[in-house]
Amino acid sequence: MPASAAWARPEDLVESLSSLDNTARLKALRDVKNQIIGNKTKKLSYIKLGAVPRVVEILASDTEIPLLVQSAAAVGSFACGIDAGVKAVLDSGVLPHLLKMLQNGDNKVVEACARSLKMIFHSPLAPKSDMFEGHRMELILELLNNGSENVAEVAASVLARCCETLEHQQALADAGGLRSLVSLLAGSVKKQEAALDALAALTKHNQQLSAILIMMDQGAALSLIIRLIRDKSPRMRLLACMCLAHIGKACPAGYGQEDEVRINMLGILMKLLDEPGQVGEDAPGVLADLVTNNEELQKIAQKENAVEKLADILHRDTLPAKQLEGVLLALAELCSRLEESRRQLLDSQVEAPIVAAFGHPCEGVKVAACSCVKSLSRSVKNLRTALTGERLVIPLLQLLSDPSSAVQVQAIAAVGNIVLDFTLQKTVVMQSSGIDQLVHFAQSMDPILRRNAVLALKNLLYMADSVVKGRVVNELTVSTLCELIRDSEEDVQEQAISLVRNLAYGDPDCIDYVFAHGDLLLQAVEQQLSVSLRPEISMQALYVINNVAAGNERHKDAVMDLVAPHKALSNTSGFLLNRYLQDMINPQLRVVAVWCIINLTYPGGTGTSSRVTRLKNAGVESLLQKMADDPCLDVKDRVKTALEHFSTAVTLVATTSGQ
Amino acid sequence: MPGQALPPTCTFLNVGQAFAGTQNVSSMQKDEAWKVNVRLQGCDMQRGYLCGSMEALNVPSAETPVVTFWEGEIVDNKNYTFYTGKWEATKDTDVKHWSKFSSFLELQDDVLKDGGKSFDLANYPYMFMRWKEKFFVNVGTDCGLTIAGFYYVCFSRSDGSVHGFYYDPNSSPYQKLELKATNEGRAGYSFATYQFQ
Repeated sequence: MPASAAWARPEDLVESLSSLDNTARLKALRDVKNQIIGNKTKKLSYIKLGAVPRVVEILASDTEIPLLVQSAAAVGSFACGIDAGVKAVLDSGVLPHLLKMLQNGDNKVVEACARSLKMIFHSPLAPKSDMFEGHRMELILELLNNGSENVAEVAASVLARCCETLEHQQALADAGGLRSLVSLLAGSVKKQEAALDALAALTKHNQQLSAILIMMDQGAALSLIIRLIRDKSPRMRLLACMCLAHIGKACPAGYGQEDEVRINMLGILMKLLDEPGQVGEDAPGVLADLVTNNEELQKIAQKENAVEKLADILHRDTLPAKQLEGVLLALAELCSRLEESRRQLLDSQVEAPIVAAFGHPCEGVKVAACSCVKSLSRSVKNLRTALTGERLVIPLLQLLSDPSSAVQVQAIAAVGNIVLDFTLQKTVVMQSSGIDQLVHFAQSMDPILRRNAVLALKNLLYMADSVVKGRVVNELTVSTLCELIRDSEEDVQEQAISLVRNLAYGDPDCIDYVFAHGDLLLQAVEQQLSVSLRPEISMQALYVINNVAAGNERHKDAVMDLVAPHKALSNTSGFLLNRYLQDMINPQLRVVAVWCIINLTYPGGTGTSSRVTRLKNAGVESLLQKMADDPCLDVKDRVKTALEHFSTAVTLVATTSGQ
Repeated sequence: MPGQALPPTCTFLNVGQAFAGTQNVSSMQKDEAWKVNVRLQGCDMQRGYLCGSMEALNVPSAETPVVTFWEGEIVDNKNYTFYTGKWEATKDTDVKHWSKFSSFLELQDDVLKDGGKSFDLANYPYMFMRWKEKFFVNVGTDCGLTIAGFYYVCFSRSDGSVHGFYYDPNSSPYQKLELKATNEGRAGYSFATYQFQ
């Protein structure tokens, strides 16, 4: 006998869900549904009691409309706002049944299922990949095209959540999704918003689909989206901007009035920053996308005080993670190129919220905070003033040990700038575990991490004193450095060689570090020089040679053995620097090659005259004479100096031998 | 130049480059000279921007060497022109100061005519700049030195020598800055590097 609702125990209600009597089932269903609406605790407890599989069973096998409607509604309720509920309904296999019911003849059933599906897809646990199985995608598109208002809207919002990978975007496009969604743009406000949501998802990071959308209907679709950025509804404005921002990022300079549209979007988005709810939370992220790599727009934003406005948001007490991430990303982009924007941001006292963001549980927030610091630190002035403190540097260094590789990559990039404190001692980094971590990353399997770590070490060695240099060489080791010079990635090679350049900069005691393992390091550099075709690598290697040649007699002689080996004395083809002295494409290489010679022939050394002789015999002086009218001013001036060294040495020899 | 892979070269504008010389103050009241060391720390030719540190030694009114941080504008007719347009320098002030550099005479007519915009500065052996000190690094603002004004600077690409005249409406006019590029006592020239991420 059915128990009275007011007195029924939950366990009994759950039991009644499986009653053979329709009326009893319906009543139990209604009661459970009414109890769980808006009540998280009740939802969890009914889940524990096993209510969900029984509810789903009703949806799966029953035929009476009220039962179907109520079970769909109950499913929706369980899935609303709690992940445990979403998991429970999905685990009970609800998805195929919901989808099947969307084609049911009865409107109320369809609407209830649509609402439930929407709830499920709001959750991060939504089964996105499952939607591409079988004919589900076609079904959703069918609903998009032919469904009622609510159903079409739900279909679009499901699609919006399903397009996160290139494959999914492509699958949806292949099934005609773009066209269907564009058609929705002519519909009601809700349809338009849902369509924009899905279009934004489809065009994100997708150049091909962005291009198709731009061209669709001779630009009519795009024009419609552009009109919608001025719609009455703030959500519409945001979604239209999001769509256009994605298209603009994936397909730069894709359409005619783009510049003008972007400026309009900037103003609209800045106002949307103040909107309450989801719109205000999402607006900063869209702003970040809009101004990425666009210096003109960044300049306009700066004049509109965008930086100050965003910094104010940063100072609020509790920000949802998405909004915080968006604000930090927007600030990172706005400050990526403009010193004025960086100054404005630092003036807004943002150090505390940024450092707090380093410790945020959400990965995206940490990445965005590092990105922000990276932008701020692209400035000598800032590095010498605001960004030097332990308060910022120590927590940033700690992020190098973050479990997420996305965070590590961005943290290393920021650290790469921060180590440039323009002091000799690099105290803060030296006193932390920063060097150990950078050395560790320099041996990572990931070439990007390797490159960034070596770059950071190179920057660390810029104008550093002998203590810092000694520490880096000891921890990195010469053999690892040689491996990095011979790395499979050219980017890594370049950084490793320029690290040696900085190592060799300065007084002879610093240059001695290059010889910590005899000739190994210098040989590695020379070998890479002889095989590399990349001018940047040649340049760095020549600078290594140059900097060593600026040292003492031992150093100069070591360079001589490298560039003018005795056995090749008699002809110029054996002289290493020839190739670069005669490089007609890159005057920079010619200049450094001449500087090497200037240093090798530097007057006053005990070995100067013998080096001069050797170089002369290798034909260097006559080569230089041919360069006396080099088209590059810098080369011309250095050649003059080098030739003076040759004639000075001759004079000296003549004078001394005449005694 | 077609196919050029690397940025244009100006040896003495490499980061880390040191310059040494003097700043002279000659007026009716006094005749002082103090030693100055400059180090270039940043150089962005695309934006016509430089920066670095300036150290003044044996300044009578200061107890220790005084170090400042300065930022420079390169007159490249792209980012900056001969006309300062700020720091209380009028066009007249500008012309008066640039004219004190002999290497400016060749350009003088062009500058008076159209601000010198048509002159090919990129290939001229001298670079014209303005250097403005921004803040004191190691002392307080009460150290007896002022950083209210700025320097008109003529820089020689060929040997890295620097000539400058300080302009500050409230200080003695035409205080001269004369620096030479130095390799800091080494047996050759060395070049360091860094890179922003």
